[in-house]
Amino acid sequence: MNLKIATKSFYISLFIVLISFQSCKQETPVESNRAVVGITSDVSTLSPLFAFNLDEGSITELLYLSLVQPDWNEAKSNLEIKPMLAKNWEWNKDSSSITFNLRDDVKWSDGQDCTAEDVVFSFDVYSDPEVQSRMYGEFGNFYRDKNKHINLNKTFEILSQYSLKINFLPKSKPNLFAIALPIIPEHVYDKIPRKDFATAKQSSAPVCNGSFLLSSWEKDQSLILKANKNSFLYNPGNISELIFKVIPDYNSRLTQLKNGEIDLMDLIRPDDINELKQSENIKIVPVKGREYDYIGWNNIDPESYNKKHKVIPNKFFGNPEVRKALTYAINRNEILENYLNNYGELAVTPVTPIFKNSIDSSIKAYPYDVKKAKELLAGAGWKDSNHDGILDKNGVKFSFKLDIPSGNPRREFASTIVKNNLKEIGIEITVEQLEMQVFMEDILNKRVNSYMASWYVPIPIELKPFWYSDLETTPMNLVSYQNQNIDKLLDEMGRKISNKQLNELYFKFQEIIHDDEPVTFLYWMDDIVGCNKRINNIEINPLGVIQKCWNWSINR
Amino acid sequence: MKKELTKVLIKRISTSLVVLFLLITFIFFLLRISPGDPAQKFISPQLNPALAEKVRESFNLNSSLLEQYKSFIENLVKGDLGISYNYHQPVTSVIEEYLPFTLVFASISFCIQIFLGFLLALIVIIKRNGRLDKAVSQMSLAVYATPSFVIGVILIFFFSEKVHLFPSSGLSSVDSSSFSLFQSFADYLNHLILPVITLSLPGIAVFYKYLRDNLEDVYNKQFVMNLRSLGFTEKEIARRHVIPNAINPLISVAGIELGILFSGALITEVIFALPGMGRLTINAILNRDYPLVTGCSLAAGFLIILSNLAADIIRASLDKRLIKGSLN
Repeated sequence: MNLKIATKSFYISLFIVLISFQSCKQETPVESNRAVVGITSDVSTLSPLFAFNLDEGSITELLYLSLVQPDWNEAKSNLEIKPMLAKNWEWNKDSSSITFNLRDDVKWSDGQDCTAEDVVFSFDVYSDPEVQSRMYGEFGNFYRDKNKHINLNKTFEILSQYSLKINFLPKSKPNLFAIALPIIPEHVYDKIPRKDFATAKQSSAPVCNGSFLLSSWEKDQSLILKANKNSFLYNPGNISELIFKVIPDYNSRLTQLKNGEIDLMDLIRPDDINELKQSENIKIVPVKGREYDYIGWNNIDPESYNKKHKVIPNKFFGNPEVRKALTYAINRNEILENYLNNYGELAVTPVTPIFKNSIDSSIKAYPYDVKKAKELLAGAGWKDSNHDGILDKNGVKFSFKLDIPSGNPRREFASTIVKNNLKEIGIEITVEQLEMQVFMEDILNKRVNSYMASWYVPIPIELKPFWYSDLETTPMNLVSYQNQNIDKLLDEMGRKISNKQLNELYFKFQEIIHDDEPVTFLYWMDDIVGCNKRINNIEINPLGVIQKCWNWSINR
Repeated sequence: MKKELTKVLIKRISTSLVVLFLLITFIFFLLRISPGDPAQKFISPQLNPALAEKVRESFNLNSSLLEQYKSFIENLVKGDLGISYNYHQPVTSVIEEYLPFTLVFASISFCIQIFLGFLLALIVIIKRNGRLDKAVSQMSLAVYATPSFVIGVILIFFFSEKVHLFPSSGLSSVDSSSFSLFQSFADYLNHLILPVITLSLPGIAVFYKYLRDNLEDVYNKQFVMNLRSLGFTEKEIARRHVIPNAINPLISVAGIELGILFSGALITEVIFALPGMGRLTINAILNRDYPLVTGCSLAAGFLIILSNLAADIIRASLDKRLIKGSLN
C-alpha cells in the first residue's frame, strides 16, 4: 500500500463528506405548519382493532372516528360524552336501547360514504373470536352468542343509511364510554378473511375517516399524519401535519425537545424539570391521577394456592393490621419529595383523585408513624423473641423478598427507602430485580409474597377487574384480596343507578379498602409533559395529550 | 487446486448449514423453557381474559413443545418462519425491512474501521516507538475502553446540543420526502455521521492495535534484516514483504468483526434511534416474540458464518497453504 495514496484518498473522502453534509438541509427547529411528537417506540399497527398500547390507541383514534368521544370537563372534574360520528342520540325510556343519528358528511379516504352499515360491521368485527381484536370478550351488555360474538340481528336495527338503533340486554347497564370505538370501513375489510385482519396490509395502509390521514410511515423512524381536509374537524388555520418521531433513548428525546427538533414529549423525569423550565420555549404541564405505584402484599399463601389451589391467609400479610403497620412504617413522603420532586400526591385508595366528586376527602393517608407500626405489629403477635433485631411469630422470622422490575430507577430508589424503613421496625426484606416478562409472569401467577408495581387506571373509574374476590374471573386481583362487602359494592356499581348513588358506593368502597389496606398505596405520579410554546391550543388532560390535536395551531 | 477448493467449500457450507440448524433448534427450545409468555401483552385490566386464551390458541402455545417444534420444522422446510406476534407480519418481511439498513450501516462502519485502522498503523510504524506512536497507542486504548453509549452521548451533547451541527437521532429528516436525490443522500449522510463514528471508533482502535503489533513483529524478524542487507529499499520491504505478512492474521479478526456488526449494533441503534437488527432482536426478545427471535438469530448466524467464510477464502487466496488449514 502506498502511504501517500492512502492519505490522499482519506482527505478526499473527508472533503466529500464535509461538502455533502454542509449542502444538506439541517434539521433545525421545525418552522412549518406541523407538530412533532417524540415517542419511545414505534406503533406496531394502525388498525384500531389491534391497538393494544396507549400510543396505538391515541393514533388510531385520530385516523378513525368513533360514534362518540369522551371529553374531560375540568370544571366539573368529570368525563362527558361529545358527538363525533354520531351527531346526536336518544335513549329509550328504560335505557335498553339507543338510537344514533350519524353525520352524513363523513367520507372514507377512498371517497366512499361512512354509513350505519360500517358501524354494525365494526361491532361485528370487534366481537368476532376469529379476529381476536382488543375488544374480544367485552360487550357484556349486548346480545351475544356462546363465543361472545355479538348477535347482530337482535342487537342492531339499521333505520336508514345514517341512523341505527342498538338494543341492549334487559337489566344491563350500557354506557356510551363502552361503545366509543373507532369505526372501520366495511367495503375495505369485507374482502379479507377475518382471521387475516391482523396481518392484512390495511393495518398499515389504512382507509380512514378521522381528523388525520396517513401520509407516510417509516418503521421505527417516523409516522406522518396529514390533516384530513374533508373532515368536519378540519380547520385550515390549524396544523396540517402531525409527526410521531420514534426516539427510544430518553436523553436523545430530551435533547431534541430542548433543540426544538420535537415539540412535545411526555414521561419527563422530575430531575430534568428545573433545566427545562429555564428554556423560554418549553412549557411543562403535569397530567395528574392516571398512575399510582403500590406495594402488593400477597394476601394469600402463594405456595398453597399454586400447589394445592387452596386459599389460606399469607403468614405475613394475611392480617389487615400487619398491612396497615407496613404502610405506617414506610416514609412515602420521602420518595415523593426526593425522587418525584412533589410531582404527585400520596395515594390513599385506588380511586383516582381527579374525580373529585367520587373521592371521600374524610379518609386521610396513613402518616409515617414508626411507633404506631410497631404497636400494630406487636398486637398481631410479631415480636423479637430471640433479640436478633428481626421480628418473629411462631418461629417464623418476618423476612421476605420484594420483587421489582429491573431498569426502573424510581422503583430502585423507592425499594431502598422501603427496605431501610422496614428494617427500622424489625422486618428484613431482600429486594430482587427481575426482567419485566419474568416479573409479570410471577405476579400474574401469584407466585410472590410481595412486589412493587404500578397501575395505569382506566377512566371512567373501573374497580371490579382489580378488587373482586373471585380469583378465577378476576386475574388482575394480583394480591388476591377477598372481601364480600367489597364484592357487594362492586356488583351494585354495575347496576343501573344514579351518579349520586354511584358516588356513595365509591365512598363506601374507599372506606373498606382504607381499613383493609390490601396493598400499600404509595403515590399517584404525574405524567410530566413538555411542549414547545409555539404550539397553541394544546389541551392536556387525563385523557391524553394528543386527544384533540386537530385543534392545535402554530404560533408564528 | 480449483477442484480441491470446491470440495473444501462444499464441506464448509454443509457444516455451516448443520450449525445454523442446531443454532435455531437450540434457540427454539431455550426461548420456550425460559420464563415469560408471548400472550402477556394480551393480559390487562382493559382486556377480557378470554382474549389471551384465544391468542395462545392461535399462537399454538397450548400444544406440547415437541408438537410446536415439529410444526416449526415443517414450516421452516417450506421457507416459512412464521408470523411475528408483535408486527403481525411474516417474519421474513419484517427482517427484510430492517436488514438492509444494518447491512449498509455495518459495511460503512467496517470499511472505515479497516481503512483508518490500517492508515494509523502504517503512519506510526514508520517511526516505531516515537512520540506519535506512543500518543496514538494511548489514545486507541482510551477509545477502546470507552463504552459506545458514552461515546454516543458525548457526541450528541457536543455536536447536536451545543454546536447544532448534526441531528441527534433518526435516519432522515422528517421532511425528507420533499428532498431531491442529492439532498436525500446528503440528509442520510448527515444523520449517519455521529452513529458511524460511535460504532467505528472502538473498531478502529482494535484494527490499529492489531496491525501495528503485527507490523512490529514482522519488522523484528530476521528476514527483514536480510532484505535490508541485500539493498532493498524500506518502501519495497514494507510493501512486498512486511505488510502481506502482517495483514494475514488480521483478516480472520476482520471476518469476525464484520459478522458481529451484521448482527446489529444495539447500543448505537438505540441511542441514535436507527432501525437496525439489534433493536429489532432485543425488542423481539423482550416481547417474547418467538418467531421473530428465531428469524433474527437465523439471519445473524447466517451472516456471521458467511463473513467468516469470506475471510477464510481471502486468507486462503493470499496463502494457498491455508486451503487445507483454516478453510477446511
